[in-house]
Amino acid sequence: MRTGAAAGHRGYYHEAACYGSDAELLAVTVPFLLDGVAAGEPTLVALGPRSADLVRSALPADSGVQFLSGGDMYARPTSAIRSYRSLLADLVAQGVGQIRIIGELAPAAFGVTWDWWARYESAINHAYDDFPLWSMCAYDTRITPPHVQADIARTHPRYATAEGRHVPSPDYVHPADYLSENRPPVPDPLQLTPPMVELTDPTASEARRAVYAADQGRLSAGETEDLVVAVSEAVTNGLRHGRPSVRLRLWAGEDRIVVTVTDRGSGPAYPFAGLLPTGDGAAGGLGLWITHQSCNHVVHYRDADGFTVRLTAGNPHFRSDGVAAVDVTAAAAG
Amino acid sequence: MSGTQRSAVPHDHVCWSYDDPAAFDAAARRYLSRGLADGEQVWYVGPERAESARMRLGELPGLDQGLRSGAVRIVATDSAYDKDEKVDPTAQVRAYAAATEAALAEGYTGLRVVAEATDLARTPQQRDLFARYEHLVDRYMWARPFSAMCAYDRRQLGDRAVAELACMHPRTNAPGLLFTLSACGHEQDDCAVLAGELDPSNHELFATALERADLRPVDGRLRLCAPGLRFIDHRCLLHLQEYAARRGATAVLHTPLSAVPRLVELLGLPDVRVEVTR
Repeated sequence: MRTGAAAGHRGYYHEAACYGSDAELLAVTVPFLLDGVAAGEPTLVALGPRSADLVRSALPADSGVQFLSGGDMYARPTSAIRSYRSLLADLVAQGVGQIRIIGELAPAAFGVTWDWWARYESAINHAYDDFPLWSMCAYDTRITPPHVQADIARTHPRYATAEGRHVPSPDYVHPADYLSENRPPVPDPLQLTPPMVELTDPTASEARRAVYAADQGRLSAGETEDLVVAVSEAVTNGLRHGRPSVRLRLWAGEDRIVVTVTDRGSGPAYPFAGLLPTGDGAAGGLGLWITHQSCNHVVHYRDADGFTVRLTAGNPHFRSDGVAAVDVTAAAAG
Repeated sequence: MSGTQRSAVPHDHVCWSYDDPAAFDAAARRYLSRGLADGEQVWYVGPERAESARMRLGELPGLDQGLRSGAVRIVATDSAYDKDEKVDPTAQVRAYAAATEAALAEGYTGLRVVAEATDLARTPQQRDLFARYEHLVDRYMWARPFSAMCAYDRRQLGDRAVAELACMHPRTNAPGLLFTLSACGHEQDDCAVLAGELDPSNHELFATALERADLRPVDGRLRLCAPGLRFIDHRCLLHLQEYAARRGATAVLHTPLSAVPRLVELLGLPDVRVEVTR
C-alpha cells in the first residue's frame, strides 16, 4: 500500500523539489523522509555531500533513513538507471509497498553535459514506472540555470513545494515526445579545430586502431579501452543501421578525446536509445546503451549531415569559451 | 619426450590461405626446409600425382636425397586422410600421431607436414569435421613434435570458408581474419587460446569456431587464455555466455583488457567470469 501524496498512484510518482534556501530544502525533505520511515517504507537519500549533511543534521538520530552517495549514483545517466532499477527490483522483491528516494545531481551536471541528464530525467518516468517509487529530484534554484529549470519543468510531471503541496507541472512533456526532440549539443571547442583523425567508412577495427593511436597517454588505460568500446559500437551501428557513408572524426585535447560518428541516416527510432537497452534483448539494441556507459558524455543528434553520435572520454566539462572547466563544480556551487 | 609431456612452445601449426599456387609452393618449400634443417621427417600431402607434387617441391634443398633416404615423403591426400570425404577428427589425429611416433622411431626429431587440404573442406559438413580436426591436432602439437601447414585455395573455397578453417590455427596468413581460437599448452585442462579482435564482423564465425572446438569443461570451468586478445564486443561475450551455459560451465576469460569485466557486468552474464591479467 502506498502512502502520502503517492497513495493510490500506480508506478512511478516523480516530483521535482526546487528550493531556494536551506530552509526550503529541509521543509520539503524532512517530512517526506520521516513519513516514509513511519510508514515502514524504504526511505533513501542520494544528495550531494553538503545537502546530505544538512538533511542528516535535521533528522533525529537513528532516523531509519538510508544515505547513499549521490556522486556514485549519478556518475552517468544510463548507469544511474541501471543501478536504481536493480535497487528497486531488490526492494520490491522483499515485498515493500512503496520506496521513497530524494536525489540530487552534482552542480557539474548543469554545464555542457546537462543534455544527457535532461534525457535521464525524462526517461526515468518510463524506466522506473515498473516500481512503486515516489522520488523527489532536488534542485537548488540559486545555482540552476534557466534553461535547466525549463527542462526540469518539461521532464517532471509535478513539483513538491516547501509548503507541502504537490502540484502538476504544466509544461510536462511525455518522455517519448521529449526524447524524440532533436537536441544538438554545445559544440566542444576542440571541434572548431581540424580533427586529428578523419575516416570515411572505416571498419570497426580501423576505428579502434585510430583511437588507440590518438590516445598517446591522454587518458588512463581504462578510459581508452572504454572509449574504444564506445567507438566500435558507434561505428558498427552506423555501418549496420545507418546510411552510407559513415564518417569518423576524432579530436584530442589535453584532458579529453572527442569522437563523432556520423552517418546519412536518421538515427534510432527508439526514443530511449542509449538510456535503456531495447526491450527485446536483441544484441543490436545494446550498442548505444553500452556507449552511454563507456564515456563521460554521449550525445546524439540529427542535422544536415545526418545522424551523429558524439563521444567524450576524459573530462567532458569544457567551457563554451574554450577553457577546460575543471572548476565548473566549484563555480556552480559558489 | 613422454606422451604426457608438453612442449614449452607449440609446434608450428599454420594455415596458409592462397590464391597464387606459386606463392604457396614457395611457402611450402620454406616450411619444409626448416623441418629438414631441424632433423624432422617432412611430408608433402596433396591431391596431385606424385610427379606433379615433386615439381612443386623442385627447389627444396636436399629434395632428391631426402626422397631417397625417406626424410622427404610425397603422400597422396587419399593416403593421408580418409577417402570417403568425411574425416573422422579423432582418427585423423591418431593417424598423424602414429606417423609422428614412427618418424621418431626412425631417428627423426619429429614430423612436419604441408597438407593441401582444399578437397577436404568443400562443404559445410566437411568443414565442421575438418575444423574440429584442426583444433584437436593443434592440441596434439603441444604434446608431441608434430607440425603442419594446412593450405587452402581460397579461389575454390571462398574467403568465408577459408576463414572458418584459418581461425582454428594459432598462425595464419588469411587476409582480413581478425581472430584465432587455438589450443592451449596447459596440461591440466582443456583450455583454449583466444587472440585478436572479436566484433560484429566475425561474431558468427566466433560462435561457429567455439562449436567446432567443442571445449570440455574441467571442474565446471572452460578456460580461455587471451593474452593476445585486443578486443571483444558484447555480441561475442553473449555467445560465450550461451556456450558456457549449454555446457553447464563457467567460461573463465583471462585477458589484459580491463573493459571486458565492465562489459560482462553491464550485460549481467552469469556464466562468464573475467580475470584481468597484467
